[in-house]
Amino acid sequence: MIYVLGKLLQPLEGFSFLRLVEYLSARSIGAALTAILLTLWLTPRLIWYLQKRAWVDQLRDTGLPTSSDKAGTPVMGGAVIVGVVAFSSLLWCNLENAYVLLVLLGMLWFGAIGFVDDRAKMRARSGDKGMSERRKLVLQGLFAALLVAVLASPYSPLPQDEAARLYVPFVKAHLLDLPWVYFPCVFLFVLLVGNSVNITDGMDGLAIVPSVFVLGVLGVFGYLMGNAIWSRYLFYPFFPGAGELAVFCSAFAGAGIGFLWFNAYPAQIFMGDTGSLSIGGCLAVVSVLLKQEALFVILGGLFVAEAASSQIQDKVGIKWLGRRIFQRAPLHHQMQHNGLAETKVVIRLWIVSGMLALAALATLKLR
Amino acid sequence: MHPPKRLLLTGGGTAGHVNPALAIGAALRGPATELLFVGVRGRAEEQVVPKEGIPIRFVRASGFPGARPSPALLRFAVNLAVGILQAAFLLLRFRPDVIVGTGGFASAPVLLAAAGLRRIGLLRTKVYVHEQNAVPGKLNRLVGGLADEVFVTFPESLSHFPGNAVVTGYPLRRRIGSVGRDEARKALDFAIPEGRTVVFLFGGSQGARTLNRALVDGLADLLPHRDRLFVIHGTGLARKGGYDPAADVEARLAARYSEEERRLIGGFYVARPYFHDIEKVYAVADLAVTRAGAGSLNEIATVGLPALVVPKANLPGDHQVLNARALERAGGAEVLYEETVLDEGHLAERLDGRLLAEKVLALAGDPAHLAAMAAAARAFLGRDALDAIRRRVAGESDPAEEPPAAAVPPETVPTSAALLSRLEKAHAARKGPWCPSAVVRDRRDLAYFVSRASSLLVAEAWEDRNRGVKLLGLLGAREKVPLLVALLKDRTPAPLIQRFLGGDFVQVGFIRRNVMAALARLGQATPDVEEALLLSVDDPYYEVRAEGARAAAALADGLTRRDEVARGLVRLLGDRNLEVAAAAAEALGKVGGEADAVPALLSLAGYEFWKVRASALKGLLTLVERGAVSDLPALRARLPEFVLVSPDFVPQFEIKAAYRRLAQAVGGRQEGQG
Repeated sequence: MIYVLGKLLQPLEGFSFLRLVEYLSARSIGAALTAILLTLWLTPRLIWYLQKRAWVDQLRDTGLPTSSDKAGTPVMGGAVIVGVVAFSSLLWCNLENAYVLLVLLGMLWFGAIGFVDDRAKMRARSGDKGMSERRKLVLQGLFAALLVAVLASPYSPLPQDEAARLYVPFVKAHLLDLPWVYFPCVFLFVLLVGNSVNITDGMDGLAIVPSVFVLGVLGVFGYLMGNAIWSRYLFYPFFPGAGELAVFCSAFAGAGIGFLWFNAYPAQIFMGDTGSLSIGGCLAVVSVLLKQEALFVILGGLFVAEAASSQIQDKVGIKWLGRRIFQRAPLHHQMQHNGLAETKVVIRLWIVSGMLALAALATLKLR
Repeated sequence: MHPPKRLLLTGGGTAGHVNPALAIGAALRGPATELLFVGVRGRAEEQVVPKEGIPIRFVRASGFPGARPSPALLRFAVNLAVGILQAAFLLLRFRPDVIVGTGGFASAPVLLAAAGLRRIGLLRTKVYVHEQNAVPGKLNRLVGGLADEVFVTFPESLSHFPGNAVVTGYPLRRRIGSVGRDEARKALDFAIPEGRTVVFLFGGSQGARTLNRALVDGLADLLPHRDRLFVIHGTGLARKGGYDPAADVEARLAARYSEEERRLIGGFYVARPYFHDIEKVYAVADLAVTRAGAGSLNEIATVGLPALVVPKANLPGDHQVLNARALERAGGAEVLYEETVLDEGHLAERLDGRLLAEKVLALAGDPAHLAAMAAAARAFLGRDALDAIRRRVAGESDPAEEPPAAAVPPETVPTSAALLSRLEKAHAARKGPWCPSAVVRDRRDLAYFVSRASSLLVAEAWEDRNRGVKLLGLLGAREKVPLLVALLKDRTPAPLIQRFLGGDFVQVGFIRRNVMAALARLGQATPDVEEALLLSVDDPYYEVRAEGARAAAALADGLTRRDEVARGLVRLLGDRNLEVAAAAAEALGKVGGEADAVPALLSLAGYEFWKVRASALKGLLTLVERGAVSDLPALRARLPEFVLVSPDFVPQFEIKAAYRRLAQAVGGRQEGQG
């Protein structure tokens, strides 16, 4: 919106300072600040509202005694994140940019799935009675299929010859260019990454900080790949318009930090599936749009490890072999089981994800 | 359109599906009706149907093996596809006016083909399905929706066929109950001496291996009473490539009894694979011993035959057990459950022959009781279903008519999974010692649940066996301890691919872990259990070792091999898994003594993980409280060696604690805010 207004008013007398909107950096900072302030203002109100309506965390019937005392914390903090990111993006992004529109669509789609799931749990008063896993996957699969269809079509924001190329870190040229391999992989990638944040979201502040790290780094990638000079210098394909993703990522980082204000241990609000699925959706779509699917294994290594440990434990160990493969899964529960306090687990995993983010940044030049 | 010119009957796999089809066929046919039966080769219908003078044709089909991808599922799909094509061909040639299917996988191809042909307008046939059991099979549920009308035996099954089901009851063959006793006695191909009590044992058309074997074993106990008993044994028809009941009975007789004994047995015992004129056997019998299929029970009840019923457990919906218990409650039958027992180190489902013989002798020796049972059985039955079916097919249904009462009204019995979840909830919420009567009040129910749980121990899927283990522990089934221990000892390796990924034995880790938990819960340190404790120490799966240590602590007071167990626990302190080391440290407090436990626990003072250090402290505290430590100053002197630094603590929300205290004080439910 501000981008359009700025463009419109710029020629007028006294509005020449509005040429600032041409600069991605200025709009990124604006988006981040807007998001932080808005989140800080909105979240306490939401906390109060949710408590009044008793939309609070429901215990899961795991059959195990729980050591912490988390039941009763309001969930659905994710609604603030989604709302604020959407608002701030609408305010600061160039809304004709297909990159931003696709990411916003992914965030809202996944967020809506999470919202329905959260609401079902609230209504049933049980953490086990949300949407069925199969229905969630079908709805997410619909979006993944839509995304693949767009990317394979002439309406794709990416350059046509890049559509089916797969890039891996440390290698300048693309690894392969096979549509029948690449697009099914993208489909699976969206489903896996889309749910990985949900699995990670099990401790106060554990999901939000690594998400901010990941989207922050992806924002840098977007900025560089959308810049003709930088992309040539770093031997990345030039994606005109991808810089707009940096504005979006800044908005997200702002909302995430604002959310952490309240979500830090001991949490006053949880993001719920509304938050974790929408963030997962953002991570997946941005990675795909910037061709950094393979880099995600490093950049989002924490999410990958959490999702992998949980799936291996459940699908291979408990359902098939009839034994635990890890003592506890996902990863953060294993650390807790080893005798670390929740705060300690969370901060250590922040450190790990921060190091992974730095490693991912290093791949910019190490090619 | 009555009677139909061409009538096609289908249904089979077992005689339980064939006989209703034949009964309905006999009721619907007129003098000019052309009949055709379609079934599966090699099953009961191949032998039974031709005896009735009805032509039979075969299609391919096999039972549904479950939705999991497997070779059996592929075979099923291929068989079904071929069967449907064969059936379509038969249908187009025979062009029946009416098709009646009575379930069993044999009827599926015909009914599916008929539905397909009708959809494309190649066939204008009325299709009817009869469901014998309260809980319909998967295929019947599917084809029921494609039929014009579904006749059901029990009103409870109406909900499975919304819109097109009617309660008619169970179609019995007209001949059943039509023969007089003396007439039947003359017509049988063997002679029954006067004045004997006649016992008729049969396990359905395929025979029941457990029943057959129990009877052969029980003959030894019946032998002394041979002058007042006569046993008629329907062993069952051989299945192609499967169990051959007659041969099995023959072999077992030869193995168990000497020639002299067999001669004596011959004087009061006669065996036949199958009785095509079963009505005559019913007429001469005074007591039936049988499975609890809907067909057998309805027939028995019609002729007023007192019965000793041995239901097969863990069938869909537990329908045999429900049938048997319904007849038992009405006074027409007594129920005997199969037991899962140890047979040369292996678990097997069995009915104890001696127990069977005792029951038979007790019933046979009490004619007054038998007479009362006979009357109760006769009164229990609703009326004949055939008339209702004939009129519905002919379209002369009378709307004012009440639907006939159900022959065997089923009750609802919780499934094993539901029962387990109820027991677990009650166990978690218990105050004081655990007693299963909090969930299972009736002692007869408890006996049945224990028997059902132990039969789960030999189930195919490990999830079922695991459930059985947990159930036995929670049901307090102390008599089943040897079975649990046998599971733990069973070292049959898992398939290679599973071992590659971390599996070990067929009795998977969870089963072995839950065996240890169940043993602890049952609270009896028999020699068997102590052996299991010692075995668990060396188990390759860590949860078994940890649970074994916890079981040792729970059973500490009754241990006779205490020193050996304590040595095992000391060894576990060095386990690389901290959960195991912690459990062992706490257990040593209960099991160990000053000489072994104290130095071992003190050596943990600098352990890497605080949880193990904490457990060592707890173990030492237990030792001190038990008075097992005499030299307290020495222990006190060494306590400062313990490293107390810990990366963990328990947080507390003051406001939630205050809320809870208040909620408790005013007697509310314990909840968070809101």
